[in-house]
Amino acid sequence: MWNEILEIVRGGSWADDFLISISKTFMGFMIALIVGVPVGYMMGRAGYWKAFFHDGVVGAGSIPGIVYAIIALVIFGIGFQGPILAVGLISMPFIALNVAEGLEGVDRDLLSMSTAFGRSDRQALRHILIPSIMPFAFAGVRLSFAIAWKVEALTEVFGSSNGVGFQIRFAFQGFSIAGVLAWTLMFIALLLLIERGLAIVERWLFRWRTWEQAA
Amino acid sequence: MSAATMSRQPGFANSSIGRALRSSWGARVTSYVAFVVAWQIVGASFFRVPTPWETLDFIWREVSGGDHGGVRPGQFWEHFSATVPRFAIGISVAFVIGVVVGLLIGSFSFVRALLSDVLLVFLALPAIIWAFLTVMWFGLGWEAPVYTVILSAAPFVAVNVAQGVRAVSPELRRMSDAFGVPRNRRIRSMLLPAITGYLFTGLRFAVIIGWNAVLLAEWFGAVDGVGWRARLWYDAARYKGFVGWAIIFIVFIFLLDGLVLSPLQRRAFRWRASPSSDLKAEVGAVDTESFTNTAIGL
Repeated sequence: MWNEILEIVRGGSWADDFLISISKTFMGFMIALIVGVPVGYMMGRAGYWKAFFHDGVVGAGSIPGIVYAIIALVIFGIGFQGPILAVGLISMPFIALNVAEGLEGVDRDLLSMSTAFGRSDRQALRHILIPSIMPFAFAGVRLSFAIAWKVEALTEVFGSSNGVGFQIRFAFQGFSIAGVLAWTLMFIALLLLIERGLAIVERWLFRWRTWEQAA
Repeated sequence: MSAATMSRQPGFANSSIGRALRSSWGARVTSYVAFVVAWQIVGASFFRVPTPWETLDFIWREVSGGDHGGVRPGQFWEHFSATVPRFAIGISVAFVIGVVVGLLIGSFSFVRALLSDVLLVFLALPAIIWAFLTVMWFGLGWEAPVYTVILSAAPFVAVNVAQGVRAVSPELRRMSDAFGVPRNRRIRSMLLPAITGYLFTGLRFAVIIGWNAVLLAEWFGAVDGVGWRARLWYDAARYKGFVGWAIIFIVFIFLLDGLVLSPLQRRAFRWRASPSSDLKAEVGAVDTESFTNTAIGL
C-alpha cells in the first residue's frame, strides 16, 4: 500500500484529481450558500416558512447518500455537474438550519434601536442581520464539509470521468485493494486537514465576535 | 358576534381556507405540493428524469408484481426480504460492538488515547470504501453488505456512547466515591440515565448510516437485494426504475426514523432540559462540538 501511495504521488496527476474534486465541492457549497442562506433567513423570520421547509430540512439528514448520487446521475449523467449538485443538495439543509438558529440569537435591542433611530430595513439587514447570520452560515459549511466531501466522492464513483471518486472506482475495477486503500488514505488525510483548516479560518474570520465568548 | 352569525357572512369560506393554508399544516401540505410540481417541471425539462406519475406507476408495478412492459415482472418483496436480514444483522452487531468500544473509550482514558485517532479515521471513511474493500475480500454474496454495515455504523455508535459516559458529572462520580456507593447501584442510577439518550442517538445514526451502507454494498457486490435491483434498472438504462427505487429507499428510512427511532430518542431524552432549538433537537445532533458528531457517515 505504501508503495502504491508513493507511486501515485510520484505520478503527479493526483494533484489534478484532488483539485478537481475540491473545486466541485467548493462550487457545491457556493450553490448551497446562495440557496440555503435565504431559506434559513425565511425560516428564522416567519413561522409559515419554518413549517414550509421543516420536513425537507429535517428529513434531508436521513436520506441515504446513494440517493443523492442517483439524483445527480439521472439529471446530469456522467459529467462535472453531478457532484456539484449532490454537494449543494446535501449541505443546503445544514446551512439553512444554522442560519435559522442564528437569527433567533440576533440582538433584539439592536433591531428596535435601529428602528427607533430611523434606520431603513436595508441598513438593518446590511449592518445587523447579515453580520449576525454569516458566522452561522459558515459553521453550517464547516459542519457539513465532511459529509459533503464524502457524497462528492460517492457521486464521482457513480458517474464521473475524473476526481478522487473516479480514481477509487478505477482502482476497484482493476481489483486493486492497495489502490483503493492508497486513494482512501489520501482522501481521509485531506478531509481531516481541510476540516482543521476551516476551523482556523472560521476563528480568524469571526475573531470580532469575542463578545460571544465573553458573555 | 357569535360563530353562527359569522358563518353566514359571505367570504367566510374563503377566509377559513386562507387560514388553513397559512397554518403550519397548510404550509407543510403546500411544501409537498410544491415539491411534486418542481419535480414535474424538472422531469419535463430533462429527458432522463421521469415524471412523478411515471415513477409512481413503476413503484406500483414493482411492489404488486405487475408487468414492466414485457421485460420482467416486479420483484419488490423478493429483494426486500433479502436485504432486511442483512441490514438487521449488521445493525445489531454494529450496535453491540459500538456500545462496548464506546463504554471502554468513555471509561478509561488510556483506551481513549489509544483509540481516538483510529476512531477519527473510521468516522471519516465513506461507506463506499468499505463496500469496495469487502466486495474484494469476500466476493459477491451476503458477506459484503453485512460487513459494510458493521464497519460503517459501529464507529458512530461508539462515539455517541463514549460521549454519554463522559456526560456523567464528575461531581457525582466523586461523591459516590466518597460515600462508597456500590458498583451496581452506580451503574443503575448514575451511568444508565446518563447514557440512555446517547444510546438511542447512536442507534438512530447506526440505522441511517447502515441503510446507506447496505444499499451501496448490494449495488456493487451482491446478486440480489434492493441495492442490486436498483442497479439492474440503472444498467438497463430504465431511469424510472432507478428513481423509483431511490424513492423506496427514502420512504423506508423515513418510516423507520419517523415511526420508531425519533420517538424512542425523544422519550429517552425527555428528562433533560429542552435544547435551545427544536429543529436542532429533531435532527438529533446532541452536541455540535466537532464534526464527528454531526457528520452522518455517508
